[in-house]
Amino acid sequence: METAPQSLAAPLDNQAPDDSPRAVSRTSEKDPARHGEQHEGLHYNIPLQDMRTLFPHSLPPRFSMQVKTFSEACLMVRKPALELLHYLKNTNFAHPAVRYVLYGEKGTGKTLSLCHVIHFCAKQDWLILHVPDAHLWVKSCRSLLPSTYNKQRLDQPAEASIWLKNFKTTNERFLSQIKVQEKYVWNKRESTEKGSPLGEVVEQGIMRVKNATDAVGVVLRELKGQSSLGGFRLLVAVDGVNALWGKTTLKREDKVAPEELALVHNLRKMVKNDWHGGTIVLTLSQTGSLFKPRKAYLPQELLGKVQSLENLVPLRGIDALDPFIPILVSNYSWLQHEKAHTEEGKKELLFLSTQTLDSWSGCAPTF
Amino acid sequence: MAAATLPAWLALQPAARTLRAFCTAVSPATRSAIPSPRTAGRTSRYERPLRRKALPPRTEKMTVDLDWPSVYPVAAPFKPSAVPLPVRMGYPVKRGVPMAKEGNLELLKIPNFLHLTPVAIKKHCEALKDFCTEWPAALDSDEKCEKHFPIEIDTADYVSAGPSIRNPKARVVTLRVKLSSLNLDDHAKKKLIKLVGERYCKTTDVLTIRTDRCPLKRQNYDYAIYLLTVLYHESWKTEEWEKEKTEADMEEYIWKNSPSEKNILETLLQIKAAEKNLEVNKEELLGTKEVENYKKCVVSLKNEGDNEETLSQYKESVKKLLKLM
Repeated sequence: METAPQSLAAPLDNQAPDDSPRAVSRTSEKDPARHGEQHEGLHYNIPLQDMRTLFPHSLPPRFSMQVKTFSEACLMVRKPALELLHYLKNTNFAHPAVRYVLYGEKGTGKTLSLCHVIHFCAKQDWLILHVPDAHLWVKSCRSLLPSTYNKQRLDQPAEASIWLKNFKTTNERFLSQIKVQEKYVWNKRESTEKGSPLGEVVEQGIMRVKNATDAVGVVLRELKGQSSLGGFRLLVAVDGVNALWGKTTLKREDKVAPEELALVHNLRKMVKNDWHGGTIVLTLSQTGSLFKPRKAYLPQELLGKVQSLENLVPLRGIDALDPFIPILVSNYSWLQHEKAHTEEGKKELLFLSTQTLDSWSGCAPTF
Repeated sequence: MAAATLPAWLALQPAARTLRAFCTAVSPATRSAIPSPRTAGRTSRYERPLRRKALPPRTEKMTVDLDWPSVYPVAAPFKPSAVPLPVRMGYPVKRGVPMAKEGNLELLKIPNFLHLTPVAIKKHCEALKDFCTEWPAALDSDEKCEKHFPIEIDTADYVSAGPSIRNPKARVVTLRVKLSSLNLDDHAKKKLIKLVGERYCKTTDVLTIRTDRCPLKRQNYDYAIYLLTVLYHESWKTEEWEKEKTEADMEEYIWKNSPSEKNILETLLQIKAAEKNLEVNKEELLGTKEVENYKKCVVSLKNEGDNEETLSQYKESVKKLLKLM
């Protein structure tokens, strides 16, 4: 049930929070480009169609459960996201890509702020390169193959093919526009000629799972090279970027360092700022990270030192990401604090918020 | 007297009695038999000596202005009858209070300093004054003492009543010195700190050397002084292999030649290239105010760690540098 946006929301900003469940905090402004400070604290609705295209895989599990339950996706407009949108609107695409790092304590909304930004960029017709959780690439991988391209690296066919499928869903229309600039030979019988659309590379990766990782590498390289030409704008969004410099739990006779994984290697190249024509938005995430204490959330704690096995030189994630703009995502202020959640049938459903994990565990929908 | 009468009394009684000596400090002649239920059947009424009633504790006779050092002249165990304080100690039972001092083993177990009241200590000092010399008048403040006598030596002597005057604990010598009073340059100080390791305290800038490997105090003192001399001279020397110091060995973050510097240089070069401004050189780029500010922020971020302040300063400096709004 959509109620009038601004007029009802205005009293919300002025009063102290009370327990009345009828207070509504929505806005009907569906375009993130027009979100401004006056929308802060309000929820806006992402159409389900967009959800399926933009986020085929990538939402935090609780949020996707909520989306399924309530059949709608609402994101709260918050300060960090607004700040980021402001920077993005004023980006100079001739300059090297600027890196923004969202950091904050657990459950404060970094991933969903990232989703807000992705929605904005999609509406503005950027090409979205979204890695939903970089931690998935460094742990629990069933199949590790030696890379066909580079003997010292390892392939992860399963993860790569999943990512390619999702990439295809998100960026369908670009796949035919962008043409590859080199010839790529996959094996004795198959190759992709120069000038063929990028979609072919993606198809190749999806069909031949063995080449999936290399296909990902090709896609990344092509996009990086071509975004500087100005044909499209590229948004690189990585959630949990600290996984790229952390330890892995994968073993192949002995512990695998992150650089030995081809996917990680290529992604690291992607988040370097030696290209232009787009932006890089990253989040640090302790959830899912390996060997990091639960309370760690500051950049240096999560991106700290890593010993690379080849030459025992400590490579710090921070050094690789320097210079970046850190953006703190803090916990909800009292203005945005959640109201009591009442459900008296679907029609009187008021509230959908991306809430911290602990508080939601107590609520159970009763229909 | 009790000791003399006891054997005589025991000789008279074939049956063994376990009466305490001080209870039986009565000559057998004055005894009046008090038949106790236990022994009534066994002995005759003349055999059991008189048990004197317990005297009132000494505390009842104490006045407020008594000479306390005479009650406790030396370290002695806690005597509940001699200490006039209503001390309680022990874990109380439910709805109870801690145990009283009479017969309280806990009070006996702990060390007490009843022999070291301020009055007693004053008396000790007065007695020791005859063996002391005057404090030099020129050293009237701590800074002057530190300036003229930067090295402090701690030794302990032990006296105990026993057959031997030797105590192996007396050989320990502790040497304390502040590194700021030593003539060390930057490299020498870092090297010295690395050499001594745990013995240096960063907050107070004090190097502590504790020696006890020689059997005599004099030898340990010489050894400690020798160690200090050697450390000082070695830290001034620079060895060949010190050139291989890596970033992991560095104690603090140095901006020059760091990856951060390289990154920022590359970024700036790219920006300039995008603006078609190819006439710049590295020194100029690195010398601008924004880069200086950025450098300061990075150094403070790395050295002090992450907190709100350093991170927000860093953010501002990056924004200015990359000319974002």
